[in-house]
Amino acid sequence: MRNIIFLYFIILSTTIVGQEKGVFSGAFETNANVFIRDSSINTPNTPQYDRQFFGGEAWLNVNYAIQGFKIGARFDMFNNSNLRIPTDSYSGIGIGRWFVQKNIDKLEISVGYLYDQIGSGLVFRAFETRPLFIDNALYGARVKYNLSENWNIMGFAGKQKNAFDTYTGNIKGIRTEGFLSLGSDESPLTLAPGFGFVNRTISDENMAGVVDALRTYLDEDRFVPKHNTYLSTLYNTLTYKGFNLYTEIALKSKDIFYNPFAVKAEIVGSTIGKLEQKSGSVIYGSLSYAKGNLGVTTEVKRTQNFNFRIDPNQRLLRGLVNYLTPLNRQNTYRLTARYSPAAQDISEMAYALDVRYKFSKALSLGVNYSDITTLEGDRLFQELFTELIYKYKRKWQLTTGIQFLTYNQELYEMKSEVPLVKTITPYVDFQYRFTTTKALRAEFQYMQTKQDYGSWLFGLAEFSIAPKWSFEASGMYNIKPKKANSKGDIEKTLYPTLGVVFFNDAQRYSLRYVKQVEGVICSGGICRLEPAFSGFRFAMNTTF
Amino acid sequence: MRSILIRFLLVFPLIILLSCEEIPIVIADPVIPDSEKVVLIEELTGASCPNCPKGSAAIENILTKFPGRVAVVGIHGDFLSNPTAKSKYDFRNPKAKSLENWFQPWFGKPSASINREKDENDMIMIDIPELWQAAVEKELLKPHQMNILLDTDFNAATRKLDLEIAAIPLADLDGSYNISIFLTESDIIDAQSNGGVIIDAYNHKHVLRDMMTKFDGDNFGSDLKKDAIIKKNYFYTLPVDPNGLWNPEKMEVVVVISRATPTDVSVVQAAYIDIEN
Repeated sequence: MRNIIFLYFIILSTTIVGQEKGVFSGAFETNANVFIRDSSINTPNTPQYDRQFFGGEAWLNVNYAIQGFKIGARFDMFNNSNLRIPTDSYSGIGIGRWFVQKNIDKLEISVGYLYDQIGSGLVFRAFETRPLFIDNALYGARVKYNLSENWNIMGFAGKQKNAFDTYTGNIKGIRTEGFLSLGSDESPLTLAPGFGFVNRTISDENMAGVVDALRTYLDEDRFVPKHNTYLSTLYNTLTYKGFNLYTEIALKSKDIFYNPFAVKAEIVGSTIGKLEQKSGSVIYGSLSYAKGNLGVTTEVKRTQNFNFRIDPNQRLLRGLVNYLTPLNRQNTYRLTARYSPAAQDISEMAYALDVRYKFSKALSLGVNYSDITTLEGDRLFQELFTELIYKYKRKWQLTTGIQFLTYNQELYEMKSEVPLVKTITPYVDFQYRFTTTKALRAEFQYMQTKQDYGSWLFGLAEFSIAPKWSFEASGMYNIKPKKANSKGDIEKTLYPTLGVVFFNDAQRYSLRYVKQVEGVICSGGICRLEPAFSGFRFAMNTTF
Repeated sequence: MRSILIRFLLVFPLIILLSCEEIPIVIADPVIPDSEKVVLIEELTGASCPNCPKGSAAIENILTKFPGRVAVVGIHGDFLSNPTAKSKYDFRNPKAKSLENWFQPWFGKPSASINREKDENDMIMIDIPELWQAAVEKELLKPHQMNILLDTDFNAATRKLDLEIAAIPLADLDGSYNISIFLTESDIIDAQSNGGVIIDAYNHKHVLRDMMTKFDGDNFGSDLKKDAIIKKNYFYTLPVDPNGLWNPEKMEVVVVISRATPTDVSVVQAAYIDIEN
């Protein structure tokens, strides 16, 4: 059916092409992995290592715009892919997305698989994050109307996408946003307020699952479940001179969700984790100031019982309707990014401060601090990150700093009786340009820790010959190991990567040999635990 | 005037929605008919799995609710099945690892198969323990198609186990069938992860120690005829374990007859018996 609808619009578009010239655009992305078992790094017993040896994915987006119409479709392919479940293999091929959009004066109508959000996404965010197999597109209809030059209202209804299918529950919502300019020309004050409302109705099929679960609960844990949950959010961006203040408060009516930390009474004793039906809230604020060479941003977020899914029976990253903004720094260096916290939806109090100062054109300093606890005060995460950048003409650039980090592995990775991971990680990133086309970049990081895997050393060298080639070699070395491998030995292990990248206009090809330690992979602030990997990785992407 | 209309259009539906009261849902158990049907639960679990005590508690509740109607096998395969820092024993074994792989895909532990029936997504494993009871009830509501009679003879001196099996189809059963025989051990006191802590003296039950057949079963026959009794004999010698494991007083034999087609491995009937009968 989906393919027939798509075909119809293709025919429609070619008919219109005869009248006016339209614009085609698109993008292609593919990953291909060859899995080579390596017992020294505890590669898991997944089908890819056992018998399949190959796994990959491909996405092709094609969009066409003409006469106020925008139509698009995406081909998705998963071939023995480990993206959906890192310890398993998933295959599927089909149209992953299609949409039709039409603008008629002040009205915009869209149907199909749609991406959108309300505010920062606290109550609703339909989005895609490929590295984590998240594609929470809304399969439905959206109508947007521009009430005036500065105000608009949008309404939507539909179901949430689930791979090549949809979840059975229904979502609908409205959003209105505006812009107000106050103050004078000399000291302008602007406001960008918004309001959103979302309703989710649990399907009868999903509710049957909730009831089946509640039947196993003792009286003290039982509740009368409700199909409908209502969320509202009020947000505003205030800008005045160098200040920018974003505030958002989101509330959720009583909603059924799985609380992995709640104590469930059993006939004998108790266990951890149960369904609850409670209301929730998130309060988020971000204040930034920039003037001259100084830039300061401070953020605060309080989260309580704000797990919101299309189906309460879903777990982990499945069926999430909303998105909770992470407050910690999104690190990029291999070792400084090793322990990243996933935003907590049950109980979290988070603060962050980022200060940047430019001493001169050549020298700048940045300091970032983030602190995350539960609402009860239990330590979850703490990071102090410094970054000093020195540029010498256009010849070379040095980036260096140190990271102090505390990470609650017991909570983020659900590991029993493990201590807080405390690390100290100094790093250096040096770039040197030999000529206008040839450059060398080198990274060195050392993570000192007595917990988890122990201390690490990381080095990388990347030689680029613009505009076509880049060659890299890196190694992550467990210099003071604490964990035994599958043979039961505590060994110093090297995790090397060798790679080559080729650019051809908008095309990018990369081929790497990778030996990667188990760790938390985060994308867009959403994290999950990934097993170790050993093998070859090919990636290619292009736009047209 | 227009702004008043817009505000009305915006606020009115919200007031209507929020003021609606749902008819309360009644939480009631289904009526399960009496029969000799026995359902199999195969649980993927592990000593280092922080959520697995929740699975074990769910199984004990099911066994309490349906005494004699459920057979259980606890599979300590690979993922999160390694001993904890405080463990004395390692429950992993080759058959458990093979079964764990065979049951893929599954999302995490604990997960359980109930009579190896697939759900609407073609998944055999259910990763929410609270839904296992409903799945067991669904199986108990299905027609009873086979009786399995078991008898054991265990020689304590030689530790040799002699198992006699008699299967009686209660209807004509087309297709091919496999037999799987599990040896399980209960009341093993050892460490177990539980949330953020390790329970030092946790009672591990239904731990799969080995199988008397291949991990995915031996051929049992095809096109079984109603009332045509099929008899099988199996032998096994229990190893002597210096740590006190392989205790015949705490061991059970679980016998399972299942369909054997590429797309359907569902269980027809399960049965269990103590080794020291």
